[in-house]
Amino acid sequence: MTEFTKPFDSSWQAYLLLVPTFAVLIAFLYYPAVETFRLSLYQTLLLGTQKAFVGLENFKILATSPEYQRSFVISFAFAAFVVVGTLVVSLFVSYLLFEVSRGTSSYLVAAIWPYALPTAVAATVLMFLMHPTLGVITHYLEALTGIELDWFTSGPLAFVVVGLVAIWKQLGYNIIFLVAALNNIPETLTESAKLDGVGRLKMLYKVYVPLISPTMVFLVVMDTIYAFFQTFPMVDLMTSGGPSGATNLLIYKLYRDAFEFNSLGKASAESIILFVIVAILMYVQLRVSESYTHYGA
Amino acid sequence: MSHIQLDDLRKRFGDVEAVRGIDLEIEKGEFLVLVGPSGCGKSTTLRMLAGLEDISEGELRIADERVNGVAPKNRNVAMVFQNYALYPHMTAAENMKFGMKSAGDYGDDEIERRLDRAADILDIPELMERKPGELSGGERQRVAIGRALVREPEVFLLDEPLSNLDAKLRVQMRAELLKLHQELQTTTVYVTHDQTEAMTLGDRVAVLDAGQLQQVAEPQELYDFPANRFVAEFIGNPAMNLVPVDVVEDGGEVRAEHEGFSVGLPDQAGLDDAVGQSAHFGIRPEDVSLAGNLPADAPTHEITVSVTEPLGESLLMHCDVGGDEIQVKAEPRAEIRPGDDIEVGFDEERLHLFDQSGDAVYHSTSATPKTSEAPLTE
Repeated sequence: MTEFTKPFDSSWQAYLLLVPTFAVLIAFLYYPAVETFRLSLYQTLLLGTQKAFVGLENFKILATSPEYQRSFVISFAFAAFVVVGTLVVSLFVSYLLFEVSRGTSSYLVAAIWPYALPTAVAATVLMFLMHPTLGVITHYLEALTGIELDWFTSGPLAFVVVGLVAIWKQLGYNIIFLVAALNNIPETLTESAKLDGVGRLKMLYKVYVPLISPTMVFLVVMDTIYAFFQTFPMVDLMTSGGPSGATNLLIYKLYRDAFEFNSLGKASAESIILFVIVAILMYVQLRVSESYTHYGA
Repeated sequence: MSHIQLDDLRKRFGDVEAVRGIDLEIEKGEFLVLVGPSGCGKSTTLRMLAGLEDISEGELRIADERVNGVAPKNRNVAMVFQNYALYPHMTAAENMKFGMKSAGDYGDDEIERRLDRAADILDIPELMERKPGELSGGERQRVAIGRALVREPEVFLLDEPLSNLDAKLRVQMRAELLKLHQELQTTTVYVTHDQTEAMTLGDRVAVLDAGQLQQVAEPQELYDFPANRFVAEFIGNPAMNLVPVDVVEDGGEVRAEHEGFSVGLPDQAGLDDAVGQSAHFGIRPEDVSLAGNLPADAPTHEITVSVTEPLGESLLMHCDVGGDEIQVKAEPRAEIRPGDDIEVGFDEERLHLFDQSGDAVYHSTSATPKTSEAPLTE
């Protein structure tokens, strides 16, 4: 019998090796989080060089601010648009990728590629493609539909355009997971359905979707986080929150409050609210989906 | 009229030819078993029947209609898979109804009627509201069979349906499958690697090896008159003993000469051609008897026991005879120890010869199946 050897002679060595990780976590995650929470209770001037304790005043101001309420509603609508849009489109594309038998990897790479693009680059490229006067896409869309697509001045159009870019950017991430999940479904289920003559679409929503529902729940959560937090560069580069606040998402608004209007305290309060919103949303999503999701064979 | 007709059926996967020209006719209502070792092409053949694999070459006809390239759903076949292929998120009833509902050709009343009937036949009405996760292996297999039943197909295709069950359940399900087939009389093609399953279930058994049909026959004929060495060794457990011999004529009698024994071969078709050749002599372990059980004048041979395996209902012995190993089945509780020298005799009605290429050239009993005679008691 071989003696069971401990990986380390003493536990202090283990602690020592954990120090770098914790140092980074504390310096860049926990400390800023605590500091943000503290700042949210202060009114600040000049990038926080002067501050006064105001308690929950920042939160009160936000709760009663019509501009903030509007941003709040827009963010939810935007998240819903992006999450639903991303899931529906990526499910469709994934199903096609799953069905195709030749050149699968090339299609897969093509579908995933937008995800590998830096968000700022993607936003810039798409902005030019869809530019109201210079854009190729807009040009042909306008020629086809006869409708003027000036999303630089139309709020709802801008909302849709930024939403589409956000969806396009997130497709690859969803497709990777969905294709993997679809490929995990035993092939005999598909074959059995073929013998029964079950239609493809019916097969998708009656069999495949229930079977990959755990993956889809995961993606709903990830896409929600994405829609709330990671869409900042698109708004910043494409619309700057406009026109007239139509794309002024919470994440963009808090950036402006912090670094354009120098209200670090208020921006911190917005951060806290955004964090709480997303946390609650995730909790609700996971709880609700529990009753629908099919785990295990 | 044959129901299913395979005419030089071939399947290639890239450079690999998995099925190399199978000719087979399956009668209406017949239970045909495709049996062979892993990779012999039996499942591929079945999948071609189902339409799940394209046919590379050859022709397949079901009910006198060429079905090469016909979509699976239009062949009116139902298949049961080894892993059951039940939809895990649906109850047993939903699983069984799903195909019919999706096809849209049946009214709700008809679906319910068929569902109830299948559940009754399989004795599973109480399982109908349970999901596969709440069912045992045997119950899942019943539901899977039920799903095939409700379609009331022309042909049942079963792909190793019992392989995932434990030994006891497998025997039980085997009997139930037989009963089911007697009741429904639906043409059935059954794939298995288990020769016992093949022998017990099949009206006829088709033995496959390396993508080629080796022999198609009724189980007993397969056992008594194997067409080649592969079938001889594959059918029957333990496998038939095969040892190299020289076939010589000695004073009007043809004998198989081996270093450890010399056996007289009764005159039958093929024997004259074998004379003067070296061949493989085949005898099943159960056709070798201890000398004590034979008449006093019967020829016997001395062999050395190297290993004994008590199987309960018999004693299996691995023995050495002239440098080759043969297996012998003796009655249980025989007082035989490894190292013992024992006298045995071969049942002269059960001797086989195979030529160098492996084809059977001689069976010591005529290959026309006998009408059953009352067994003689000693």
